[in-house]
Amino acid sequence: MNLAKSERAGESESPKSPASDPMTDAPASPGQVFYNLPDKPVVTIEASRSGVPLNLPGLWACRELLYFLVWRDVKVRYKQTLLGAVWAVLQPLVTMIIFTYFFGKLARVPTDGVPYPIFFYTGLLLWTYFSNAVMSGANSLISNTNLITKVYFPRLIIPASAVGAGLIDFAIASVLLVFLLIYYSFPVTWGYLMLMPLVLLTTLFALGLSVWLAALNVRYRDVRYALPFLIQIWMFVSPIIYPSTLVPQEWRWVMIMNPLAGIIENFRAALLGKEFHWLALGYSTVFIVLLLLYGSYTFRRMERRFAEFI
Amino acid sequence: MKPIIRISNLSKQFRIATGERSAARYETLRESLVRSLRNAFRRNHHRSEEKLWALKDINLDVMPGEVVGLIGPNGAGKSTLLKVLSRIIEPTSGRVELYGKVASLLEVGTGFHPDLTGRENIYLNGAVLGMRRREINARFDEIVAFAEVEKFLDEAVKHYSSGMYVRLAFAVAAHLSPEILIVDEVLAVGDASFQKKCLAKMQDVMRSGRTVLFVSHSMGMIRQLCVRAALIDGGELKKLGPTKDVADYYEAMSA
Repeated sequence: MNLAKSERAGESESPKSPASDPMTDAPASPGQVFYNLPDKPVVTIEASRSGVPLNLPGLWACRELLYFLVWRDVKVRYKQTLLGAVWAVLQPLVTMIIFTYFFGKLARVPTDGVPYPIFFYTGLLLWTYFSNAVMSGANSLISNTNLITKVYFPRLIIPASAVGAGLIDFAIASVLLVFLLIYYSFPVTWGYLMLMPLVLLTTLFALGLSVWLAALNVRYRDVRYALPFLIQIWMFVSPIIYPSTLVPQEWRWVMIMNPLAGIIENFRAALLGKEFHWLALGYSTVFIVLLLLYGSYTFRRMERRFAEFI
Repeated sequence: MKPIIRISNLSKQFRIATGERSAARYETLRESLVRSLRNAFRRNHHRSEEKLWALKDINLDVMPGEVVGLIGPNGAGKSTLLKVLSRIIEPTSGRVELYGKVASLLEVGTGFHPDLTGRENIYLNGAVLGMRRREINARFDEIVAFAEVEKFLDEAVKHYSSGMYVRLAFAVAAHLSPEILIVDEVLAVGDASFQKKCLAKMQDVMRSGRTVLFVSHSMGMIRQLCVRAALIDGGELKKLGPTKDVADYYEAMSA
């Protein structure tokens, strides 16, 4: 069946400039306008071979869409609520109060001399961001089915926007941290310079995990059910309720295997003027970079069939 | 004259589940593991799956400024073809070359969020369809006027009547400015007078020199808008030519 070919036969194959082309040999159509067609196709669609892990130019071209999707997620989350963005603070705040009472006043967890509220809040702030970002990131593709089956754009934008929306909440919840730091009169130190890299690292970690889990979630909905449970366990093996110094020296390496442990400990160190754990930080960084590469590779590999499986 | 869309030997195969797996559209990890284990012990790897060629060796060239209608019965592969051209589904084999910016309109109101206001949805939907914020700003008033929703602009769209909703959604889409526009059966929205307006807008779009590929079951619309038509049936391109010939043939065929 090759009806189009027979039509094409009448046309010369040599590339003519469409601008200088008279309209005469064009198919009859009212009000035809001709543009300068590029010599190379703008888009070529073929069955893909194994591609590169990231399509960075494509992603960069879609930065406005990323912005709009983050904006949508944030807007929608607090629409029709009385408290609005206060919810972003409330979640870690209430948890902090409960922890301070049970783990602090009753169980007397040692915190290396740091007041309980600020000890718990520093950990919870980062944890709340991370866990919310991963949860919404991992479910982001299946909750945006309508977009995936109807429009094209680099799918990585979707989990990225879920993580981005979490970052906004993190920024709001950080305001309370500032008050706590002032209240307990912790001085501003050079350690603050590490805050940005640590938050960036947390973001990349959440992104790497989200991208990987979101892709798996399209195929295997098990992810959706397993994740809340795993996240809960993850909190207890991370130094949020207790400092990692509570773990006996010979077992501390197990604790540090959790890349989040190094980030949280160093986040506290940066804010409260303690010493950094460079080795743990180095390990976390390497782990996160590898995860991000693996996650985006998996994502790109599965991306082309998302619309069929979702 | 060089074609702006060049489709060559395009095929798409779907695997469709049969038997026990047909109930669920996705499988759990356990099922997948069990299946791969089971298959590992089997000589032939025949799963409980059937292969279906949704598109078979399609060849079609579209010239710049041309309006081509795709017709055919349900399940013929028209929408699959549009989805491949929109890069939503990847072809199994073959190649498509597009020599211009593409916008696809496979559904009215993709990305609309019921909790957001009309104003917010215009921006969101515009961005989803590939418009820049500057473009949306520039056409904002035009879109609102076209949709006739000025009064309800700051109301959540979930409170809109369904007519208002589709009018707003169509208005955003109608103000896209790609070189190639891919449209699936979306023109039949709103009441009779709005449909007339949509049709007029569509004719405007076509007169402006845009290349349009569109699917419709309304032969009247196809005859009115298209220069050429393509009949697709069973995943194959059965007939291609001037709209009248193809439409007459199809109507005779299905009569």
